Amino acid sequence: MTAGKQAVRPLNTCLRCIRQPASSNVSLPAAPSRFFSSSTRNSEEAQLQKSDQFSDLDPRLVDNKRDEKRLIKTGVLPIGSRRRRAALRTAPDIPFEQLPYQCFQEARKVLQEDRQEKIRQIEVIRKRIANLESQDAAVGGETGVKEGRLRSMRNHLEELKIFADVNDPIVKKRFEDGEGDMNKPIYRYLADRKWRQHKRMVLMQRVTQMNLVPDVLPKIDPVADVDLAFGRRNVQPGEIVDSRVSEMVPRLRVQVFDKGERLVTVVVVDADVPVPEKDMFTYRCHFIASNIPLSPTNTSVALSRLDPKVDVSKEAPPKHIALPWSPPWANKGAPYHRLAVFVLQQAEGEIVDTAKVAKNTKRDGFILRSFMDKHNLKTVGITMFRTQWDEGMAGVMERAGLGDQVNVVFKRKRVEKLPYKKKDPSRYH
Amino acid sequence: MRCPAIPFSFRPTFRPLSPRSRPTTCLHRKPFSPITAPFTSSARLLRKDKGEKKDHRITSIRYHLTHGLTPRPLRFSRLRALRHWTIHRAWLTFRAKQRAAAELELQRQYESMRSACEMLRLMDENGMAVEDGMAAQGKDVGRLYRIAMEKKGIWDSVPIEYARIQMDYPAKEAWNHGWTR
Repeated sequence: MTAGKQAVRPLNTCLRCIRQPASSNVSLPAAPSRFFSSSTRNSEEAQLQKSDQFSDLDPRLVDNKRDEKRLIKTGVLPIGSRRRRAALRTAPDIPFEQLPYQCFQEARKVLQEDRQEKIRQIEVIRKRIANLESQDAAVGGETGVKEGRLRSMRNHLEELKIFADVNDPIVKKRFEDGEGDMNKPIYRYLADRKWRQHKRMVLMQRVTQMNLVPDVLPKIDPVADVDLAFGRRNVQPGEIVDSRVSEMVPRLRVQVFDKGERLVTVVVVDADVPVPEKDMFTYRCHFIASNIPLSPTNTSVALSRLDPKVDVSKEAPPKHIALPWSPPWANKGAPYHRLAVFVLQQAEGEIVDTAKVAKNTKRDGFILRSFMDKHNLKTVGITMFRTQWDEGMAGVMERAGLGDQVNVVFKRKRVEKLPYKKKDPSRYH
Repeated sequence: MRCPAIPFSFRPTFRPLSPRSRPTTCLHRKPFSPITAPFTSSARLLRKDKGEKKDHRITSIRYHLTHGLTPRPLRFSRLRALRHWTIHRAWLTFRAKQRAAAELELQRQYESMRSACEMLRLMDENGMAVEDGMAAQGKDVGRLYRIAMEKKGIWDSVPIEYARIQMDYPAKEAWNHGWTR
């Protein structure tokens, strides 16, 4: 800033202090120049204000009672305190990174220098990777050594990419505002970290406490964030869902944190189907859909919209859905059923033949482990919900064609008390 | 005269000159003493007198009970917090760089000492370098190196317990029984 400007600045502030309260918020270009005259112009202003109905009152900047009242009449509430709004009006609109705080600016300088250094390192390692790739495999010696080195160098490169941006306040701000571009590694890294800090912990707690992990799969390490919703009803992991809600096909939001497109299979398994004859439980498959494309930016999986109905009428083989949604149900008196939703990643370039899956898979007694082995699937995401007998369940079962099951009621087997027998009194002496 | 009611830390640093250091030309006056008897015997004064007799240890304990060690939490607006975070990250970066530089310097010094020792080891009596291997077997080859590596007398003034750095737990292998000279 030049010296002249600096000198003028306080004067400016003074002028701003004595601005007219009524017309200040309405943008009138001629108003400041006619500050000292009070002739016909005022009536014109009043007319103008009336005509445009205060539509340009900014709820962020209104700072007097009259304007506030006008704004509230139009149905918009002013934002923040009046003091804050007044401060915002007079404050010059400086972008965050140019705020004139010395320590902050020095800190930014240090961080930018660090970033430049990281970028230089990235260039160096890129060149090294290119050199190593162009080298003959035999030069390095053993087979596999070159691949190992390349892998570690690529990992280091990814790490450096994150280190270059992780200290940027603008990146942090944008991520916190939810405006991060998931195609960039830094935002994916931040999202992953945030997910692992709380959401994944809760999920893992539910999954392990309800013993889904040894019951359905021997172990699980989710790497994708899965949100489940029935229509507009969001479901937390492990929640007990009303049967009328879970009758409709759910909607998934799967956020993956590694780059690239991949195809996934979604499987919903009921892990608590009672078998009273054998006094045990078995599994039932409620849904299988395959070949669903996913990427960090393409997160929405609306299971109801996977195969449009037009295709079904044409009798074309379904591209995605192998087994359509069957609403989860539980008999009266039976304990709650755990329904696990698995997102399984298909191997690179492999497509699951849904027609074949539909033909070969039985819903009852579905074993997920063998299904995964057969189709070469890898678990990336999991979520779960529970269902139990409630007032809507009978209707749901009727509509699903399970009318014979409605009247089946499970009861506890009464354990008869042993007859009372007087103990030998001599043992008490 | 010291008033015992004031704790040490709150005592004024400047005290009136003692009678010994008073210049002789001064008139000898009675040293100043606080009024021992009150003008009135009102309850207020009596209470005040009582209050002054507080134990300084109690004062200090009460002070430290009400003033915790944990500083109050930082409550900032969004942008202020973001600026604070920026400065903090810059500070951490700066410290990390300093640490890396110090480590590098240590490494350099170690390497330099090591190469110096290596040169001494391969030096004959004329100060000329010899080839490593069979040629380095002579009596005078590396004499200075052997002298430099002597560990004579370094534990003389230190108890033998300190030969091993003191740890919280004993070593996994406490005594090497297979050791021979």
